[in-house]
Amino acid sequence: MSMDELLRVSHLNVSFPDDDPYDGIEERDTVVRELSFTMKPGDILGVVGESGSGKSMTALSVIRLLKKSARVDSGQILFQGKDLLSLSEEELCDLRGLGISMIFQEPMTSLNPVLRIESQVSEALRLHPGKEPLSTEEIHQKVRKVLEDVGLPDPEGVCRMYPHELSGGMRQRVMIAAALITDPSLLIADEPTTALDVLIQEQILDLLKEIHERTGVAILFISHDLHVIRRLCDRVLVMYQGQIVEEGETKEVLDHPQHEYTKTLVARIPRVATVPGDTPVLEMEDVTIYYPPRGASSGLFRKVKVEPYVYGASLKLYQNEILGIVGGSGSGKSTIGKVLTGLHGIYDGTIRLFGQPLEKVLAGNERPQMIFQDPYSALNPSHTIGWTLMETLRSKGTRSREKQQEMALQMLEEVGLSEAIFHRYPRDLSGGQRQRCCIGQALLYDPKILIADEPVSALDVTVSSQVLELLLKLQKQRHMSMIFVSHDMNIVRLICHRVIVLDHGRIVEEGPSEEIFAHPSHAYTKKLIEAAMLE
Amino acid sequence: MQAIVKKLFSLILTVLVISFLTFIIFSIIPGNAALAKLGVDASPEQIAAMEEKLQLNDPVIIRYGRWLFGALRGDFGESLQYSGVTVGELLGSRLPVTMVLAGISFLLIVLLSVPVALFCVKFRDRLPDRILTVLGQVMMAVPAFFLGILITYIFGLLLRAFRPGAYEGLSLRYLFFPALSIAIPKIAMTVRFLKSSVRGELSQDYVRTARAHGASEDQVLKNHVLRNALIPVITFLALVIGEILAGSIVAEQVFSVPGLGRLLITSISARDYPVVQAIVMYITTVVVSLDFLVDLLYRLVDPRLRRGG
Repeated sequence: MSMDELLRVSHLNVSFPDDDPYDGIEERDTVVRELSFTMKPGDILGVVGESGSGKSMTALSVIRLLKKSARVDSGQILFQGKDLLSLSEEELCDLRGLGISMIFQEPMTSLNPVLRIESQVSEALRLHPGKEPLSTEEIHQKVRKVLEDVGLPDPEGVCRMYPHELSGGMRQRVMIAAALITDPSLLIADEPTTALDVLIQEQILDLLKEIHERTGVAILFISHDLHVIRRLCDRVLVMYQGQIVEEGETKEVLDHPQHEYTKTLVARIPRVATVPGDTPVLEMEDVTIYYPPRGASSGLFRKVKVEPYVYGASLKLYQNEILGIVGGSGSGKSTIGKVLTGLHGIYDGTIRLFGQPLEKVLAGNERPQMIFQDPYSALNPSHTIGWTLMETLRSKGTRSREKQQEMALQMLEEVGLSEAIFHRYPRDLSGGQRQRCCIGQALLYDPKILIADEPVSALDVTVSSQVLELLLKLQKQRHMSMIFVSHDMNIVRLICHRVIVLDHGRIVEEGPSEEIFAHPSHAYTKKLIEAAMLE
Repeated sequence: MQAIVKKLFSLILTVLVISFLTFIIFSIIPGNAALAKLGVDASPEQIAAMEEKLQLNDPVIIRYGRWLFGALRGDFGESLQYSGVTVGELLGSRLPVTMVLAGISFLLIVLLSVPVALFCVKFRDRLPDRILTVLGQVMMAVPAFFLGILITYIFGLLLRAFRPGAYEGLSLRYLFFPALSIAIPKIAMTVRFLKSSVRGELSQDYVRTARAHGASEDQVLKNHVLRNALIPVITFLALVIGEILAGSIVAEQVFSVPGLGRLLITSISARDYPVVQAIVMYITTVVVSLDFLVDLLYRLVDPRLRRGG
């Protein structure tokens, strides 16, 4: 082996015991098969593949942190000439955190909740004192320096904080700081950006790139996300069912995939979905919406006075368009949706849907449908999903029970749920499944306009992206126009064609989303965007 | 501050409700202090006179009111079984014994459970862990009085570490053995609980992080896992203290230790309600205050519960 090699993995095989403990025969499930690759000092090597492809197992084998049940059956892992598979547990402890460091996917749970950031960042340093142990003060200075290096504001303050006081992006920065404090030669990053918001993802990738340029640390970067791999890695391995199916320069592999699997992987990068038409389906002109003031009650002889809540709003929604309405809480962004669905009726001004007055549309079956923020309370807990869906069809006027059932089952399939859900109660379902049911329920009316009021705010990141994907798919297939109400600028930026910014009931800015994000003109918009970046 | 006032209020309320219930129960069960005092041979006239003297003929509500009025001023009345002795004096002589007994038990539980649990986790599913697990199950299953007799036999008669039945003064050496008999089953329970808590923590993501930083198995347990694993155990230990008090009733009987537990039993059979009331009051206060203490401890151990978290 030549000295300019940092890591050489050859013919690695890793297996797990078969899941069935009762058949008595010990069968093993090979998750990594005959894997070989090398890294030079300072390389950034990407490993890409779907979940279960063996990419995380590969990473964990290198730092020897596989679960106890996993076994390396054969192969060799050489790190700086040392055979990692023959090291004792003690020698491994010396190596981990010093020569090889690792960061993980789950920044929210990967830090110890009861220890201060300083003691967690300095841990690797204290565990590897070397020949001349540092004093407490020297350690503190190093921690401060490395926290500053990973772009955390106020390192002194962060030192004293506990993990729960930091956001996901900040925790991942802390994880990176803790991994880098000993200046390792190899950093293994296992999906470090997957659990983070899109904008934060970008920041973490920039940070890793910057650190790589500054320190020359080699990075073994595991991800399922080709965008991320493309941004960071020089070379890439594509793994499928435990084997490498393709490898090479990242650009080359992703632009001209050779293997069938890589081709499907590359094709799955989502694209911007629809192109809006130019016929408006909704026109609001100078609409002022009133509400009784908070806490007002009507007495026997006293009528409740109403106060304007949304002032003189004018907007248009076009065919196939996704219009984002953003604003903080109390900005009136949900109120517009309520008026359009007939849930609230006290307003001045003209609202026309498909060229007809709102009241006329609300009386018919063409009325806009709404999806709410909280899927936990939006479904009736004492009825099965099937009953709820069929009830929706009954109210729409579908008489035959067979027809109702058929349509309900069809809708479950359309929103990506199995038929078994039909007989389940809302309490049996996850948040994502419930929101899918709510979407299905709204779509049974076959609406031309869908109003989604913070539809993913109550869901966690992974589930929320799946639900968004579903919404976009359905919006495209059914040629719907959509109003997407949200406080989350990151999501709005990704999926909306146009954005309207509401502040205290007034429209303060309006325009194509890209433009608004690139050049926000109103101070309030700037504030919202800044808030999204900090998250 | 508001939380403390709230807790204090609920403590008072609980104590009041419990005291009333105990009073009611005592008026329902057959027999009274006069009967118990004079025995079965007494004539109806003697009994009637004694009932009159002890003021047992008034309605329950009146008697409860009288007792409550006294208790609020710190006067718990006189014992009915020992004439001329106030409840305060009686409790004053017995309370320290039980408190020392409970204290030793609790210390034994805390000091032994943690190392034993960590030992088991370290040798997980190997012989030492299995032996201790089986032993723990046996200890939990053995009736409390039998364990007491066993300890008396082994330490008292065979090893002559103490003289069974010869309790004098507040002797730590003597009290250690009844305390041990109370502690052993609780240690087994705590170890089991702590073990599963530690195992649960070991599968957490932050443990993987610590390993990636180069922490050895011992360092992972000591520096990371233990503190997290102890958080649910705090609640458990508070419950255990309540059980220690219950256990002391049996242990004091078996080892003939003149503590609160023994006093409670004799007072119940003598229908000596002022004494029973006072003891019940005391135990209730301890148990409810523990709940409060657990809340405070949680805040200390878990930074997520502190202000702003």
